[in-house]
Amino acid sequence: MAALARVRGEKRAVRRAGEAGRRVEYLAFVLAGETYAVQIAHIVEILRPPPITEVPRAPRTVLGVISVRGRLVTVIDLRRRFRLPETPIDRKTRVLLSETGASEQVGLLVEEVQQVWRLASEEIEPANVLGGDQPAHIAGIGRPSDSEGTILILLDLRPILEQP
Amino acid sequence: MVEGGGRGDSGDKARDEFFSEAQELVDGLGRDLLALDEGLKKKQPDAELINDVFRGVHTLKGLSGLFGATRMAGLSHELEDVLDDLRLGRIELTPSVLDLLFQAVSLYARILSAESGEGEDPGPEVEQLLLALGQISQRRTGSGAGVVARYDLDPALMGVLTEYEEHRLRTNVQQGLGLYRIRVRFSLATIDSALDELKAKARPHGEIITYLPTGAGSDVDTIELEILMASRASVDLLRTAISGPNIVIDEVRQRSGASAPASLSPSVAPPPPPVGAASVALTPAPSATHETGSPQRDRGEEAHAPPSVLAPAQSFAATGVAAAPRPVAAPVAQEMSLRSVSQTVRVDIRKLDRLMTIVGELAIVKTAIANLTDRARAGVTGGRDLAIELGRLNRTFERHLAQMQSGILEVRMVPLGQAFDKLARVVRQISRELAKGVNLVVTGAETEIDKLIVEELSDPLMHMIRNAIDHGIEQRDERLRVGKPPVGTIALNAFQKGNQVVIEVEDDGRGMDHASLVAAAVRKGMLTADEARELSPREVLALVFMPGFTTKEVATDLSGRGVGLDVVKTNIAKLGGVVDIASDVGIGTKMTITLPITLAIINVLLVEIEDRLFAVPLASVEEAIALDERHVRIVEAREVLTVRGTSLPICRLGRLFGLPPGRRERPRAFVVIAQVGNRRLGFAVDELVGQQDIVIKALGKSLKSVRGFAGATELGDQRVALVLDVAALIEEVLAPGETRLLASALEADGELRRIGRA
Repeated sequence: MAALARVRGEKRAVRRAGEAGRRVEYLAFVLAGETYAVQIAHIVEILRPPPITEVPRAPRTVLGVISVRGRLVTVIDLRRRFRLPETPIDRKTRVLLSETGASEQVGLLVEEVQQVWRLASEEIEPANVLGGDQPAHIAGIGRPSDSEGTILILLDLRPILEQP
Repeated sequence: MVEGGGRGDSGDKARDEFFSEAQELVDGLGRDLLALDEGLKKKQPDAELINDVFRGVHTLKGLSGLFGATRMAGLSHELEDVLDDLRLGRIELTPSVLDLLFQAVSLYARILSAESGEGEDPGPEVEQLLLALGQISQRRTGSGAGVVARYDLDPALMGVLTEYEEHRLRTNVQQGLGLYRIRVRFSLATIDSALDELKAKARPHGEIITYLPTGAGSDVDTIELEILMASRASVDLLRTAISGPNIVIDEVRQRSGASAPASLSPSVAPPPPPVGAASVALTPAPSATHETGSPQRDRGEEAHAPPSVLAPAQSFAATGVAAAPRPVAAPVAQEMSLRSVSQTVRVDIRKLDRLMTIVGELAIVKTAIANLTDRARAGVTGGRDLAIELGRLNRTFERHLAQMQSGILEVRMVPLGQAFDKLARVVRQISRELAKGVNLVVTGAETEIDKLIVEELSDPLMHMIRNAIDHGIEQRDERLRVGKPPVGTIALNAFQKGNQVVIEVEDDGRGMDHASLVAAAVRKGMLTADEARELSPREVLALVFMPGFTTKEVATDLSGRGVGLDVVKTNIAKLGGVVDIASDVGIGTKMTITLPITLAIINVLLVEIEDRLFAVPLASVEEAIALDERHVRIVEAREVLTVRGTSLPICRLGRLFGLPPGRRERPRAFVVIAQVGNRRLGFAVDELVGQQDIVIKALGKSLKSVRGFAGATELGDQRVALVLDVAALIEEVLAPGETRLLASALEADGELRRIGRA
């Protein structure tokens, strides 16, 4: 058993080494039944939602603030931003602590975290396949070749984090 | 400390040491000045000597400050300014300047004997000298920048030269010396001695202006320095004089078209670089140079934080300046700031010892907890006993933590004098530039406040004082005409009031005329004539805090350069403080700043509003009472509660924040009475939860636009509570007129910026 696992691990490592540089890792999550994905490089941590403190007078997309190891983090509800129906927080709900380098760390509330996809450039369609005028935060559509029928809406976090 | 009544043996001993050390310094100054005089006669004053004199005076200043020899400190202060200008080449060393310096040395001696009770106080002479020294500093010149440009020097190098180095470079080039670039590779192990040796070799031939690491090709054990040197000698002569392994000497060529100094023979003009052609341009390492270059420049800055032994009501005289000519092109630094470069707090070692002791006590508590844990695990102690024991430990822990906290806060506290001392210089400078006589009278310089706040306060205070001198204090003849003393007074008063520190800036000038304030605001388009008629007197005065407000048609050098009182107000608000203004036409203006004593840890009152927790800083809470709805009346569309016979405007926070109603039914409510500056407001809340010490954290950038919260804090159980910005809320509720104006002004400002960008 152990030997087999090692062989598998090595194979995987070999494949990974061969693909490095061509593929980009995306983290897929669910919002209102649709699957979205963001570059994993922009995700610092996945948190179970701590108690969220509402901030009166804050923009509508802001759910509130949480404390992550003593640091205050603003939590944004992407559904409010995308005008999607909301469901209450349950045991699958997570907060993606994300950072793009250009701005502060922001928490993104998602309904469920699915898996990491490693997409080659030919598996990514540009945003304009959805029509000409897409918002800046839509980076493209991911169609993993080894999973027929899966469609990922790829998000660019920068415009979202810079202007919540 | 010396003036204290119970002066013991140790005090006498320290005082004796002060006299001997001061005397030595004064003697040394005399010697240096004589040598400087010799050099001046030969037209080659040694720059290093001026530095020596500067250092001597600086030490004297610190020493006299320490011993309360105020007259001596004052003289040193002024001398230091002049010497700083001299060594940086801002003013020229002439025989008459030297005369004044000599005069200063003899006065030092007389002050010393007067201090020791032997001679007469030379007060009037000192005043006269101060005046003369003040006049020299106005004769600053700035010249010669052009000559250096003729040389083929890397602009990056020019960028990292200190002001002093730049001045030396300029002076040498002006005197027709050639510039040389020496590349030397040193072994790190011996660099100190090897560099000294090289300097000694070079000194007879010229002056080393600066040296920088090149960062090129060094292996781990060696470092390559590039030395910029000015010399009258030829490159061949230098190569012989400063020869050695790993030394390459090149001449810095003049740019084509510029004529070479006569002293250079044409044959050496284009020297082929013998090793590695890379030595054409200097390759400085900016960060390293700043570190090596700045200490000598910064020394002057640090000098302005002497321990505050100032007498409580010391007055810094800047009188008699009316006679001075009004310099039109006085070099006022565009973005002058009084903030210190360093963020250091000097701490009495005894305070640290106390903290150390508390840490020791905490370690004992920790051990006790560990023991108890073991015993509980072993089942020796259980249930009730365990609870009692833990409760005891918790109380001990709490007590030590509180001691630790107050100990650390105490370490952070510094006297406001640190900021006030710098302001005295500003007053002197501005009053000279405007040719207005102004006396600064300081009280309460010993009031202590958090170091961070002191740093952030310097600049706002400077702007307020500028404003007071420029707009408030009248010209001498005008003052005489209205029967005021010819010299104006600016009072800077500080005192502690509960958990707040109050600072007043008061002038006896012409005061603010409401009609002209309104007219100016209308002229600037900040409000319409109709709106203006509805303003209360208080709102009229608040106009001066609006962005872009000025009463002057033409901006002067000082005020109205874009940095207005609105910036002052914003900066004070950032510190959790407020600015109030009161003014009487013909009598004067008083601005009052009210600030919290510390920023770090604050004590808050936790309150509940519609099932949500909020924290109110206790520093601004006067008291909390039960809300009796029967005593609430509506006055001018505002709810007013009668408390012990006086009326108090109240604000229902749930309504203000637009909170949806909570689930729990509330039989009664409470009013938290807050006061900031001279404004009072009651916040109606559902429940008082309790007091707690918290560390306040700022809300993120994405919530920057949200007003009314100073930040948030974690309550221990991962829950976060928002901390109310009481000052901002009071402002928002009580001054809707001002806020409305401010908001529209900001919008207009944003509009303009957008247009400007397009």
